[in-house]
Amino acid sequence: MYSSKISAMLKKAGISIGDRVRVEKGGQTHEGILMPRAGESDELVIKLDSGYNIGISSAGATLSQLEKAPKKAEPAPEHYPRGEIAILGCGGTVLSKVEYKTGAAFPAFSPKDLFNAFPKLKHMASVHSKILFQLLSEDMHSRHWSVVAQEVANEIRDGAKGVIVMHGTDTLHYTSAALSFALANLPVPVVVMGAQRSSDRPSSDNESNILNSILVAKSDLAHVGVCMHANSNDDYAFFHLGTKVRKMHTSRRDAFRSINTMPLAKVDHRNGTVEPLMPYQRRDEKRKLDLQNHFSQNVGMLYSHPGIKPELVSKFADYDGLVLVGTGLGHVPTNAFNDKLANNLVPSLKSLIDSGIPVVMSSQTIYGRINMGVYTAGRILQDIGVIGNGADWTPETAFVKLSWVLGKEKKMEKVKELMMKNIAGEITPRSNYEETFIDF
Amino acid sequence: MKLGLEIHQRLDTHKLFCNCPSEGGNGKPKSVLRTLHPVYSEMGEVDKTSLAEAEREQTFEYLFYENCCCLVELDEEPPHPLNPEALRIGLEMALQLKSRPVDEVHVMRKTVIDGSNTAGFQRTAVIAMGGKVESANGDVRVSTVAIEEESAGIVERKEGRAVYSLDRLGIPLVEIGTEPDIKSPEHLREIAEKLGLMLRATGKVMRGLGTIRQDVNVSVEGGARVEIKGAQDLKSLALIAENEARRQEALLAIMKEAGKRFGGKVGLGGKILDAGDLFRGTSSKLLKTGLDSGQKALGMKLEKHAGLLGKEISPNRRYGTELSDYAKTTGVKGIIHSDEEMKKYGIGAEEFANLCKLLKMEKGDAFVLVIAPESVAKKALEKALERARMDYIPKETRKANEDGTSSFMRPLAGRARLYPETDIPPVRIGRELLDEIRSGASESLEQKREKLLKLLNRDMAERMLRSRNLKIFERLVEMKIEPTLAAATLEDTLTMLRREGVEVGGEHVLALFEEYLKGSFVKAAIADLLRETAKGKSVEEALEEKQLRKISGTELRKIIKENSKSMAAIMAKYRLRVDSKEVAELIKSM
Repeated sequence: MYSSKISAMLKKAGISIGDRVRVEKGGQTHEGILMPRAGESDELVIKLDSGYNIGISSAGATLSQLEKAPKKAEPAPEHYPRGEIAILGCGGTVLSKVEYKTGAAFPAFSPKDLFNAFPKLKHMASVHSKILFQLLSEDMHSRHWSVVAQEVANEIRDGAKGVIVMHGTDTLHYTSAALSFALANLPVPVVVMGAQRSSDRPSSDNESNILNSILVAKSDLAHVGVCMHANSNDDYAFFHLGTKVRKMHTSRRDAFRSINTMPLAKVDHRNGTVEPLMPYQRRDEKRKLDLQNHFSQNVGMLYSHPGIKPELVSKFADYDGLVLVGTGLGHVPTNAFNDKLANNLVPSLKSLIDSGIPVVMSSQTIYGRINMGVYTAGRILQDIGVIGNGADWTPETAFVKLSWVLGKEKKMEKVKELMMKNIAGEITPRSNYEETFIDF
Repeated sequence: MKLGLEIHQRLDTHKLFCNCPSEGGNGKPKSVLRTLHPVYSEMGEVDKTSLAEAEREQTFEYLFYENCCCLVELDEEPPHPLNPEALRIGLEMALQLKSRPVDEVHVMRKTVIDGSNTAGFQRTAVIAMGGKVESANGDVRVSTVAIEEESAGIVERKEGRAVYSLDRLGIPLVEIGTEPDIKSPEHLREIAEKLGLMLRATGKVMRGLGTIRQDVNVSVEGGARVEIKGAQDLKSLALIAENEARRQEALLAIMKEAGKRFGGKVGLGGKILDAGDLFRGTSSKLLKTGLDSGQKALGMKLEKHAGLLGKEISPNRRYGTELSDYAKTTGVKGIIHSDEEMKKYGIGAEEFANLCKLLKMEKGDAFVLVIAPESVAKKALEKALERARMDYIPKETRKANEDGTSSFMRPLAGRARLYPETDIPPVRIGRELLDEIRSGASESLEQKREKLLKLLNRDMAERMLRSRNLKIFERLVEMKIEPTLAAATLEDTLTMLRREGVEVGGEHVLALFEEYLKGSFVKAAIADLLRETAKGKSVEEALEEKQLRKISGTELRKIIKENSKSMAAIMAKYRLRVDSKEVAELIKSM
């Protein structure tokens, strides 16, 4: 976006973006293509014949048109016949390219472009694709989850042997958890995947993530899961259970890790292997999918912090449910020892629960299990009805699960019962020992 | 012949897009494995250089060192903002060349998928345009001044895998590119030297092996623009330009000859046939080893090419070598062609004849043969054919060889190779910044030269101007050390000591001259003292141990008496400890 001053100047001169122009300023002449630009600005961006872009301040510059931008023919829409694997696009880095509106990588590729971009994909499976949304993943919420679940269910009912959901990585693990709850009795694999490096760079991890995801989609693992890089190498990937996975790094390729469990499988497109690491549900195309895609749109989440005020808890009075991201084993300030300076959240939490708003505990430690029986604070919270004792879910999975449960049930007792019942692998019965649960 | 020059100089600051120091890797590296694939530019084009690289399926192994690499080099974290210090140094150089800074710097991604950058592109930005390098042989216009990041260094190439080290990836470079105004190899050398001196005169650039690189663009009448990378020094730069001009002329002659043979059109066929059966039981080690390990020997006829492939186009390089270079981009080690001596491959006369028969060769035809895994061998022959079909001199980027010739690297990159680096917002260059740079700028090369000429004779002034010790010299002059003594110590004494294997640091010289100003020793003792202090001894210790403390006053009078006032005798014995002027004065007064 150019400033209104420049836009007016361009309009007057009949120059549009993409035209070949000459800019004269201070005795120097530059010729090149007038490029669009990010943000409101008075600098003209010119693509020189060398390919470099430079910014020239419009003050004192004279601009003239040399050539109109060549009109690009709209490519005819391509139709691909239904393939064995369905690819559903929800935007995100895996399907993005440069966008001048924001000057940043922006979702814009349609999945069909993938065939051109990754010729190897053609040899692995027949696929068809559909774009569901074009949005940044942080803009997704529970209404989108319902749509994605419905679309996946449609594909499966129409005979897809596996479904791949392409998604921005920021909230990918919320969607994978949502699909895990919504797609009960799943007959075939559903793979949620993305890329940490945008597809406009040759080093993007999209290629190996896509190829590995295709392998999973064709495999015997009838689960909803996330397929992403296992480490920094472009080689094998992990297929993580959809409810037990979390984005653990802002930028690394291997940001997605299984929490409190092992990945379901190790996947390597280079030799075509899917090696299960955990017991799994086998593919059974006769199994009848049970779609349960109603989610509450009114669940809140509160991250406990030192000095957190009771008034903040009270703000959730008009929510349907609240997930606490507590400290340690599952705590928030209860002032159990009557300290003069400490805050106490118990009265405001109790009043939420008493008014019928379920409150669910999760932990900031991410790893480990909630145990509200060890310290006084935990016991007080259990006593007033905070749900979650014994669960080893991530805060995000607890949030998605509460949204899903509240989409079916309103009664506190029923909500509590469903929350504490393992539905999609989100609550494991045993905490297995791993030598290093996390590096360093 | 038209020549253009591109100089890349490393800047003496931390890396361009992260806070890692610009230094070599220490300790044992860790490694990651990656692949790269071509992408579309924002103009919707795919760069042909990238496509050429993509034809070679490769895995890249990157070695990273913890002291100088972070997640940015590993392409695991977005780049940090452009290093402002590097931008300032670049702008300072641009101003010296009277190049006009752009109002806003846009960082671009230059696609390079040969693996030399983990991201698959090199980040680069034009910071100024225009300007000139003045020269007695004719001024040369500057086209652009850019800053960019250094690429990763190749460690090893194996079949299907290239190993790169990430320590130097991201070190800031300033790139100065000229218009093709350079008229001769001699002129080229002059401009390259002058630009190098100007850069060093700022005192803000790195010095030493590999810190400056010169690429040259060459074209002759009827030829094409060819860029040659990696000249090791100024001497080879001129030779490379000379050889490239000759290569283009030789290729023009070959094209003319080929044109005659083909009657104006190139209709080369290119049937690829498996010649493996002809070499069962061959005594050619090359063929036997390949065939035994399951590789294929594929041959292809090149019509009417007999004699052409063997034509020399550069010293020890034939037209066939050009075809071989193209074939090598697919990963093969090389090709065999019929203008070569078959004996050197151990191929017998009968095998040769059978191969010609298999390929249905007629008089005047030639062949190329390659041993490699089938798919690779096929691609290699297709590449060789692609080159043979070119009835023009291709625009290329070539790599300088040690002998002054060059080899094909990739097609010359087009503008589709550049697209915006969206992870870094444009940087505005304001008037305040430029004023600040102007006021804080180091003296220009000419100013420095003028200053030195006032202090030293012409010869020593020129030497000092090129010296890596220039900064220390300036410090010594500030300390009121006599300039000729300072220069002689830095240029002659230090060189002499280096030849003995004694490395003297600038700090040793400065410490020694501080003591010299106190009158503790005489000039003649400098070399002996530096030899000691370089080992880590203090000046004081060296003076005592080597008994080099200056003798003067009463003690000197005693010595003069003992030696019957003979200047020659005194100097012979006490040359390192007495000041001859003082001796002369005392003799006169006694």
